[in-house]
Amino acid sequence: MAEKEHTFEEAYRKLEEAVQKLEQGGLTLEQAIAVYEEGMRLVKICNECLNAAELKITQLQSLSEEGA
Amino acid sequence: MQIYTVSQVTSYLRELLESDLLLLDLWVSGEVSNLMQSSAGHLYFTLKDADSQLRCVLFRRDRDGTVLENGTAVIAHGQVSIYETRGELQFYVDLVQPEGVGLLHLQFQHLKAELEEEGLFDPARKRPLPPFPERIGVVTSPTGAVFHDIANVINRRYPLVELILAPTPVQGNGAPEGIVRALRALNDMEDIDVVIVARGGGSLEELWAFNEEKVARAIYASCAPVISGVGHETDFTIADYVADLRAPTPSAAAELATPDCWELRSRIDLYKWDLLSSISSQLSSWSDEVGRRQDRLEALSPDLKASRQRVDELSRGAWKCLEGLIAVRRQCVESLAAQLNSLSPANTLARGYAVVKHTARGEVISRTGQVRVGDNIEVRVTDGAFRGEVVEGEGENG
Repeated sequence: MAEKEHTFEEAYRKLEEAVQKLEQGGLTLEQAIAVYEEGMRLVKICNECLNAAELKITQLQSLSEEGA
Repeated sequence: MQIYTVSQVTSYLRELLESDLLLLDLWVSGEVSNLMQSSAGHLYFTLKDADSQLRCVLFRRDRDGTVLENGTAVIAHGQVSIYETRGELQFYVDLVQPEGVGLLHLQFQHLKAELEEEGLFDPARKRPLPPFPERIGVVTSPTGAVFHDIANVINRRYPLVELILAPTPVQGNGAPEGIVRALRALNDMEDIDVVIVARGGGSLEELWAFNEEKVARAIYASCAPVISGVGHETDFTIADYVADLRAPTPSAAAELATPDCWELRSRIDLYKWDLLSSISSQLSSWSDEVGRRQDRLEALSPDLKASRQRVDELSRGAWKCLEGLIAVRRQCVESLAAQLNSLSPANTLARGYAVVKHTARGEVISRTGQVRVGDNIEVRVTDGAFRGEVVEGEGENG
């Protein structure tokens, strides 16, 4: 099983890969089922990422006059 | 006292004029006269006002389709120097426009041409935007609607990001410097994925900071790709040309910077269906394959049904055969029985013969010598028997 995904992008990319791998075929039954299960896990992670997202806003303070 | 040659004087004057910063980058207004075009395509003319005139040349390489007419009021940009061959002061013009166009516009044209030539707008240099940005820097005013609009758009489209506002005034004195500082501060953070430089709509003067050379160079120097969203759809600034991507408005810049999470959700759903349909079609093809192999296995294995039928037929044949044999035997037995019957004494008895047995000894008496007078005998006839006693006898042999 692959290591944990840290970002949405990572999970999304892996999902794309899993779909591609499964659609390409040529896997054994066990491999195909493992890829399918991994893909479904990534679907869940992606959706959770999107559901839990909350925009963060930071404002840089006092941009100094030096270097202008 | 030193004596100079004419060439030395004109050369000295040229150096003097060309080291003067004002004369190097000069804007002059005046009226065109004495216009003539050389065979090489250069334009020679005089700019004059009520009191003075200035000899001018516009070389073909700078003309860029410029058409001049005697008597028109123009604003020209260029450099003042000396034409040594003739010892004449000359204004080397590189840009000339009718006066009504306005100075800001001319400055814009001039800077645009200069930066374009330097390669700052080179399409090959435009960088692709990251498809899934995590940190987006925003260079704009902390007050006003622009940042609020950008934050709203991004919150709606892709709230997975962190927005970093680098605040700066976007118009008036100090705006260009502030924008440059903000861009540098974001550049120093190193983990910014994309930068939005934005300002709401305004007049040409209000948007002017985005036409400043130092702003253009700071955008060019940004490590992260820059999206410009300045003014309205119809406003083009130098910042737009140098940015990696121009957005018509600040909100459009926010849209271009982020993927749409609803689109992503539907794509994820699609991937889910792809996974499902792919695995189920593979499973069913595997199960078809198992079925096919089973069929082949059965085809290759001995045909039990046919064998059973054959056994059945054989055993039925055997049985028939056996029955035949039995019938033959039965006939045999019957004829033997008939034969036997023909040999039995019963028929002889029926014809009137009798069988005599010695009662005491039980033996059949066929000769006279077997009995004496007084012996008891048993006589069997066809329908029964009776007893008797030997009374007298005479043998053939005595």
